Amino acid sequence: MFSSAQSLPPALFAAFGLLVLAALAAPIFARNRRAAGIVHLVLTAAAAAVLLLIGFKAVFQGGMSEAQNIVLGPLTVPFLLDGLSGLFLIVLSFVVASSALYAVRYMDHDPEYGVGGFYAAFPLFVLGMAALLVVDDLSTGFTIAWQVMTVASFFLIRYEKRSAAGVRAASKYLVLMEAAWLLVLAGGAAAGGGVGDSLHEIGLKAEGLSGGGVLLVFGLLLLGFGLKAGVFPLGQLWMPDAYTAAPSPISALFSGVMCKAGIFGLIRVFFFLSPAVAGFDPRLWGAVLSTIGTLTLFIGTLQSVKQSDAKRLLAYSSIGQVGYIVLALGVALWTAGASDPAVRALAGVAMLGGLFHVLNHAAFKGLLFLSSGSLLYATGTKDLNKLGGLVKLMPVSAAVAAVASISIAGMPPTSGFASKWTIISASLLSGPASPVIVLFGIVALFTSAVTLACYVKFFGLSFTSSRSAVTSVKPVREVPLSMLVPKIILGSVIVLQGLLPFQFIGLVRSALNHSAGFPLAGGLETGFEASLAGLRIKDVYGVSLNAAAAPLIVLSLLVIAFFIAAFLRGSAGAKERTVPTWLCGYQQLDEKNRYVDRGMFAALKDFFRWTGGR
Amino acid sequence: MRFLAPLVNVAIFLALAPLFEGVLRKLTAKIQSRQGPPLHQPYLDLLKLLGKERLDSAGTWPFRFAPLLAFAAILAVAAVIPFGGRANILAGRMDVILVIYLLTLGGASVLFGALAGRNAFGLIGASREMVTMIMVEPILAMTLILGAVKLGSLSLAAAVPSAAGASYGISNALMLLVYLLALQAFVARQPFDIAEAEVELLEGPFIEYSGGNYALFKYAMMLKQMFYAWLFVSVFLPFLRTGVYPLDLLIQLLAMFVVFLLIGLVGSTNPRMRIDQAVRYYAVLIAAALAAVGLGVWGH
Repeated sequence: MFSSAQSLPPALFAAFGLLVLAALAAPIFARNRRAAGIVHLVLTAAAAAVLLLIGFKAVFQGGMSEAQNIVLGPLTVPFLLDGLSGLFLIVLSFVVASSALYAVRYMDHDPEYGVGGFYAAFPLFVLGMAALLVVDDLSTGFTIAWQVMTVASFFLIRYEKRSAAGVRAASKYLVLMEAAWLLVLAGGAAAGGGVGDSLHEIGLKAEGLSGGGVLLVFGLLLLGFGLKAGVFPLGQLWMPDAYTAAPSPISALFSGVMCKAGIFGLIRVFFFLSPAVAGFDPRLWGAVLSTIGTLTLFIGTLQSVKQSDAKRLLAYSSIGQVGYIVLALGVALWTAGASDPAVRALAGVAMLGGLFHVLNHAAFKGLLFLSSGSLLYATGTKDLNKLGGLVKLMPVSAAVAAVASISIAGMPPTSGFASKWTIISASLLSGPASPVIVLFGIVALFTSAVTLACYVKFFGLSFTSSRSAVTSVKPVREVPLSMLVPKIILGSVIVLQGLLPFQFIGLVRSALNHSAGFPLAGGLETGFEASLAGLRIKDVYGVSLNAAAAPLIVLSLLVIAFFIAAFLRGSAGAKERTVPTWLCGYQQLDEKNRYVDRGMFAALKDFFRWTGGR
Repeated sequence: MRFLAPLVNVAIFLALAPLFEGVLRKLTAKIQSRQGPPLHQPYLDLLKLLGKERLDSAGTWPFRFAPLLAFAAILAVAAVIPFGGRANILAGRMDVILVIYLLTLGGASVLFGALAGRNAFGLIGASREMVTMIMVEPILAMTLILGAVKLGSLSLAAAVPSAAGASYGISNALMLLVYLLALQAFVARQPFDIAEAEVELLEGPFIEYSGGNYALFKYAMMLKQMFYAWLFVSVFLPFLRTGVYPLDLLIQLLAMFVVFLLIGLVGSTNPRMRIDQAVRYYAVLIAAALAAVGLGVWGH
């Protein structure tokens, strides 16, 4: 599978150098906000392009099969760039480039705060995240990458430093991320790993751990990376506040990329470190992960539906979507430990579904956070109670927000549907491993309807419905082109992910097959067929067809039916006439009789009051 | 024949959905000691609406787009189902999860339309419609998942008529009961016509729609009604078949007629529930359906 043991590409350090240069150069131009933004954009986008190429090369041509030590002065840091790192680098570079472009004009809207610090912290934050994906230890290199990422993002969250809530959110974030750092360090140390040991070497030392030791090591690492990924109940501690306080392009990076660093850590721990440890029971830890994942997706999404602040809604929903990914990892681990080979075939399906959802979530949630930024930029508010009727004023923003909303809600044939379908099918078919997994699949299906409610609300109350006092008095204009372009790019990626999921499943498959030591590497082809004609799970349990979904066929069916409907509607030649809304006796539509967000889904919010988050 | 089946499905659904609606109206009238409209009245209603002016209070694309999508989604469902117990050409590429999501897409388009309509009554209706969808979708899903866990397949050909492939156990009996208790909610009839609630919300989500747009929504509702009647017949009475396709189609249609009589009977004798009462009711049904799936996994 590996053409050769490749070494670390020097271009990686060139990309890091470009990011450092961006952090030094952009603030020099801080007096002119646009100039600083453009300098930052050029250097950061160049770095992202290099990282993208490195990522693609690692995914398709195979990365390094073992870690390579790089000496940095007195420190020795093991680096590993394999298919998995490559996959996450691809995600990172897309979202980073989009956010950097978006930021150029977006940062205009709040002139009371300078942008020097912002443009110094942005590239360093990116540098920390990228480094975290390629260092291969739980000590020195991990500490450097984690601290660069954490401290830089701390300053980004407290960008609005005169806002008490923002500063509090940033401080809380800093404390919790340092706690996560300590938990991971403690986990590595408990496994017996010394300073500068690669993950592989830690595995060798942890081989003979006793039952209690395994519990301690994996428990600590789960807590540490779980805190970063935002699983229930840890994500609720910091994510909603931090995501809301940060400027929108940064929120997009947080949700699209940074919380995926936690997912990346969990995959490294539970799929790469664990096979070396003899006392590790994949079924037990699979059960733990999938339980946490299910709780996270259920509670996160129900809390999301209760929010009236657009960014808080998106933040809670991010927790919910991370839940889907963690559920997929848990199901993969659980079924991989089954004795029945038919059940084991589903492990690969769940894993592919989970990582596909990582790609999809980065695209649609990145786009949604940029959309919330556009709302704030154009109207000055992100309160859904005060928005409405923007579709005519901001048509392009509305169209891309609609694409992202129906995708995250999992409507066929979109990207959210393809990845959720994969995760849910794998769960529902895993009954022979445990009936509990079937229950988790049903909860995931239920939750996707709640997600739909969130985004009907998000899109409906901001872009359609009636104009509010804010949107009818203030002159609202479409955001500038340089803010639309990154949204259109992400929107196009979402459409491709939905219609051609096999390409992206192929990307994930190649990434995992090019990651040395991935335990399911041989089993990713069996039982799961992804082609232009759609996705199919087949030949499991001796059944010829277990599940099937074909986005292109669904699209053609819907298009044909759509034209039948349009023909029917126009068949009698009736005219169309624009009239005012019928108000059942009220004289005019205003703030007094507008239906606002507070009343939306009241019965549901009351029924699920116990899930908290209001 | 396999190639023609989707077209046959769509043709039968489009042709007969208004007739079943007529049956409901006639039955309701008889129960209320009224003469009632003739059976073909719904056809005339649709034709009349198609000829009327379409009033547009929003002037935006989501408002005009929504009725088309609502109709398209349910028509796509009708095309893929194994009507007459025969898996059609599309069955190898579609499964029950896709059908569930397509039904949700149809419901979601009603909501997008209602929100675009800018009417407060429409928004109240949309809010209730969404809550109902969230609570009812798991019951529909579990009806289909029960068969899927028994046979290890989510495909339409296996999971829908599952009781024919696997044994008819306690789990199926419990699920049948749950389905009957949820049926009025599936088809949005009393006591669960909470979102439209004519006398209270003036048709809720549809309040701003008229002419052809409203005709499409109406038609989509009739098709949806027919789908749920069909689903009951094929999931719980899969043994009603002879192997001769036209005969099987006829048998299923006759069985669906009986289901419609039941819908009409319950609908005309029960008062509407409040949305919060309905949510609690659905929660009990969800728990019962979960129990049925649990029993199914254990092999009962």
